[in-house]
Amino acid sequence: MAHTDIDAAPIQRILKNNKREIKLGLKVCAHCSLCAESCFLYAATKDPKYMPSYKFINSIGRLYRKNGKVSREELTKIRDIVWHDCVLCSRCYCPFGINIPSLIALARQACRTQDLYREYDKEPMGTAT
Amino acid sequence: MAFQAQLLQILQGPMVWVAFIIFVAGIIGQSIRLYRLTRRTEPEKIQFIANPRKTQKISGWRRWMPYLGQLKTTMLGTSPVLSAVTIIFHICLFITPIFLMGHNVLLKAAVGLPLPYFSETTSDLLTLIVLFCGLFFLFRRLLLPRVRVLTTPYDILLLLLAIFPFLTGFLAHHQLLLDYQLMMILHMGFSELLLIMIPFSKFFHMIFFFFGRFFIVNEYSLGMPQRTWQF
Repeated sequence: MAHTDIDAAPIQRILKNNKREIKLGLKVCAHCSLCAESCFLYAATKDPKYMPSYKFINSIGRLYRKNGKVSREELTKIRDIVWHDCVLCSRCYCPFGINIPSLIALARQACRTQDLYREYDKEPMGTAT
Repeated sequence: MAFQAQLLQILQGPMVWVAFIIFVAGIIGQSIRLYRLTRRTEPEKIQFIANPRKTQKISGWRRWMPYLGQLKTTMLGTSPVLSAVTIIFHICLFITPIFLMGHNVLLKAAVGLPLPYFSETTSDLLTLIVLFCGLFFLFRRLLLPRVRVLTTPYDILLLLLAIFPFLTGFLAHHQLLLDYQLMMILHMGFSELLLIMIPFSKFFHMIFFFFGRFFIVNEYSLGMPQRTWQF
């Protein structure tokens, strides 16, 4: 099994404890992309991977859909999204009022349980895997 | 043909009530569920720009100018076309069916409720506006990279579902493309499906929008909300 190299239990605990918030965010997001301009990284690069909605859907959203059963490789990609593509400046804006920073912070929490985080001294800007 | 007539009878009889009851009960139920996810909190007073009435001695309509200038930093300023299309689309989505002559004649016959209605030409125009806005959203979804990366088949399906009642209603009214009875079956079937789905699908944003912006304290809240999430 691909997901045996990570311990899904602590991730599942985070998902379970915050189920209502995650479910609501995923359900309400209309995929309108109006949050894009509120991210300074998107504004500077125009790369869709920096859109706040893209980041929370592909991090905590992916973990939620798979109930935490992801491979380490997949979780590393999620780590890159929530640490390298987001600085959690919490300036993102959702027309519906979804608290995107809070959802991204949950994904960071999930990554930390598997010792996946950004080592700032070893990983300067632009060195995402 | 007998089957078609029977189906139409069900769709324009009991199914209308079933759809309306599920729609209204669903909205009430989901609103209660959302409300119970919140708790009372202190209202936050965030003043982004100095109150021009206090800092400058300006009067009349000019005192609104700083506020209008502030709009430039909102979505109305950053995405003016999309904002305009979105606002027009959602307004027309509501007022077209509610003030449509055909609907209101039936409503008066059924429950004696006399609602005002637009002329047929106005309703046709509003329907066409909904259809064009829908087309705009569809092309945007398919062509703009930033929307395409988020788009799933479900998004396209929901967009089509929102548009279909208008398309089929327009075609039925003008007796185009298909036999009138068949088009009416499609019109009523899609409309009832849409009503039933609103509280339980992504259309749920219809409730959440007002909740998230008017009831929950945050930087972008409108009015003076006094509640916060208790996730």
